[in-house]
Amino acid sequence: MKRRDFLRKAILTGATLSLAGGIDPLLALVEGAERPDLAVVRGPLPERITRAAVGELGGMGRFVSRGDIVVVKPNIGWDRTPEYAANTNPGVVAELVRLAYEAGAKTVKVFDYPVNDPRRTYRQSGIAAAATAAGARVSFIDERKFRDTAVRGELLKSWPLYTEILEADKVINVPIAKVHGIATLTLGMKNWMGVMGGWRGRIHQRLDESLVDIARVVRPSLIVLDAVRILVANGPQGGSLADVRRLDTVVAGTDQVAVDAFGSTLFGLKHDALGCVRIGHGSGLGNMNLSRLRVRRLTV
Amino acid sequence: MTLKNLRRFSQTLFLLLFLWLFLQTESRGDNELGYPVKIFLDADPLLWITTVLASRSFYGAFALAGAVIVVTIFLGRVFCGWICPFGTLHQMVGGLRRIKTVTGRRRRNIAVELRERLRRFLGGRPRAGPAVAPGRSPARGEESGDKHPEIRTDRDSGRQDGKNWGPYRSKYLLLVFILVLSVLGVQAAGIFDPLSLLVRSLSLSVYPLFSYALRAVFDTLYHGHVPILSNGAEIVYDSLRKTVLPFSQPFFFQGAAIGVLFFFLLALNLRERRFWCRHLCPLGALLGLLSRFALLKRSVSEGCNDCGRCRRDCQGGAIGGKGRNWAAAECMYCFDCDDPCPQNAVSFGFSSRPVPHALDLGKRRVLGAALAASLAAPLLRITPLAKAGAAEPELIRPPGALPETLFLKRCLRCGECMKVCITGGLQPTLWEAGPEGIWSPVLVPRIGGCEYRCTLCGQVCPTGAIGKLTAADKAVVKIGSAMIDKGRCLPFAHHTSCIVCEEVCPTSPKAVWFEEVRLRDRRGREVVLKQPHVDLSVCVGCGVCENKCPVLGRPAIVVTSLGESRSPDNRLLLIP
Repeated sequence: MKRRDFLRKAILTGATLSLAGGIDPLLALVEGAERPDLAVVRGPLPERITRAAVGELGGMGRFVSRGDIVVVKPNIGWDRTPEYAANTNPGVVAELVRLAYEAGAKTVKVFDYPVNDPRRTYRQSGIAAAATAAGARVSFIDERKFRDTAVRGELLKSWPLYTEILEADKVINVPIAKVHGIATLTLGMKNWMGVMGGWRGRIHQRLDESLVDIARVVRPSLIVLDAVRILVANGPQGGSLADVRRLDTVVAGTDQVAVDAFGSTLFGLKHDALGCVRIGHGSGLGNMNLSRLRVRRLTV
Repeated sequence: MTLKNLRRFSQTLFLLLFLWLFLQTESRGDNELGYPVKIFLDADPLLWITTVLASRSFYGAFALAGAVIVVTIFLGRVFCGWICPFGTLHQMVGGLRRIKTVTGRRRRNIAVELRERLRRFLGGRPRAGPAVAPGRSPARGEESGDKHPEIRTDRDSGRQDGKNWGPYRSKYLLLVFILVLSVLGVQAAGIFDPLSLLVRSLSLSVYPLFSYALRAVFDTLYHGHVPILSNGAEIVYDSLRKTVLPFSQPFFFQGAAIGVLFFFLLALNLRERRFWCRHLCPLGALLGLLSRFALLKRSVSEGCNDCGRCRRDCQGGAIGGKGRNWAAAECMYCFDCDDPCPQNAVSFGFSSRPVPHALDLGKRRVLGAALAASLAAPLLRITPLAKAGAAEPELIRPPGALPETLFLKRCLRCGECMKVCITGGLQPTLWEAGPEGIWSPVLVPRIGGCEYRCTLCGQVCPTGAIGKLTAADKAVVKIGSAMIDKGRCLPFAHHTSCIVCEEVCPTSPKAVWFEEVRLRDRRGREVVLKQPHVDLSVCVGCGVCENKCPVLGRPAIVVTSLGESRSPDNRLLLIP
């Protein structure tokens, strides 16, 4: 037995034993009442802040059940190395994979439909290596697995979406925070372009409505916005270190609108600066009023 | 192990090495390819000599090509018989033919057969005589045939007299033609060279065909949802994708034509064994000339009873007479004549005794080939594309490509760059580069842009026609410039937002920038739009914008070669 396996088994056994106790369910309820809507954690280690943020929300066990097939969906869109802040931080992705396995996930899948060549983006982003090392099944997009899916949105009636994300038990969205020409910023909802097939560039014609429509279909259990490094100019693919700011932060939550609303504030914008946030709020997808949300800030 | 088996082992090894390197000519996502995928082209003396002659400049490592020359001088054409992967393929296909021969009835000449049938069909009488007798076919070459029906040779075993290897002189004349062209500055060897031809045919045609066929089978099973079978097939498909299948299906212009040519050359083996190697291969001809004084020689002992068995098995058609005569320049040292000799009279050994059967090409023919080349060279060049300022706008060369004139003298048209191109955007030209530039690489952004940080084409180019660039160098090399067609662009012509070109523009700062404008639509409502513009001083012409432009068919942003760094003429900006 490997050390990691032993630890995993030990933790699992411990968790099972403690659940058998009488007052734990009650405690969990009390915790639930105090649980934050958003956890904003700052610290120098991407893995640690990710673990802490998920912990603040109640731990991965709240989102992933034993035997689940989990998709962790990062942004692997661009042929850039991590320091250029064009793709999700590999440490954040890998930690989520580990957390999902610790919570009992059967399989954790990691993929994205990149804009640049997939071989280069997967390799250069460092995500393929980090996620594979964490035990994830990292795969390239298989064109055959896009299926015309009924979206029944305000704008999009149907679109070819990736079946692996639709068929997963749980979906974790792990975007990176960047500026973007047409969307102003690309945060959580914009990341769903990575599960869209067909000529997805066409949705730029009415991007915000389209994103909200897709976000309604691909409902993530958890969103972890990577703001370890953010891209403040020349987004979404950057290319100059001068355009990168190091915030050493992740923002975790379960409300797609709330996470993106908070994400805007990282760039000095108002919470309702993004069209998709406003539309998502207006149509009941989530809540953008940060003042009404419990935001827990933490430095680790 | 007999020499023949050793030769077979060597051929298998080199063919597998060649194919393995071929499969490695593909990105795995790293900056460096990591494998010396072009070593077979590096080892080709014909390509090296002609490129040096044509471009009047030395390049790259001469070590491998030099080694082949030295080996050939001492050992003869062992390269053809033991190493050349194209030769091995020919031998394999030729083997299909041989089965028929040994099982008894020998094939009749197809042409004669057809002629006879046609004659019969038209009501004439079949031609009598030995010309159509089984086992015999009329000789080829101008001294025989209809004029002298009494002279007959076995096509498979060289000329009857064994003193003049006339039927095989075409490859030497082709070699003369190619060499004279290269002296005149035209690199044509790559078109005819067996290794270049093989890499090109596999890259642009055979491999795409193979991939398409396999994918079609597995896609059918995948979409058919056959229980058990579909799941099992997916496992097989997965492992094939990790090993022999390309990352994505390659598509190439002229793939069909190049494939037809390739399969035709292979099929010629059914007519005559190793037809290509005997009649057409200019590399074989060069090595043949080099091997004239080779020390490794075939000798026949007194035990020979003139049975002619060795002649029948000879791959190169190097054995003449009843088996005693031998042409060093045609022998590929396959040792097929060694084992089967019933008298055990054939042996190979080192000797400095000169071979009596000298190659006689004929002065007139050599002169003719040279004259043809000196006509062909200017003929290929009289294209208006050569005029200053008349560059073909669609001729976008890969990054690091030399200036066009020098590029054409270096480019072998081997197709390595097109094989390795990560987006599949590098395609073979037809006429875009003039007749001299046929099958040279051109970037077709609609098929695939030039991946900004990828430098693989320069890494695999065997002659440096495409220079090897570092990522930093490549970032500033312009291969063209993008321009916007306002009549088709959504924010300009159709009051619709878009800006995909700006999103995908890889430079920093982006060459595509936008201006926010307030316009009124047909109902008079104000719409705010971002209209794209191209900063020509930043644009490198990678073509990703054109590739991703949602205006399909004729995109609203188009890259042309204008502004390419390599050309002093094809410029636009005063200060680039």
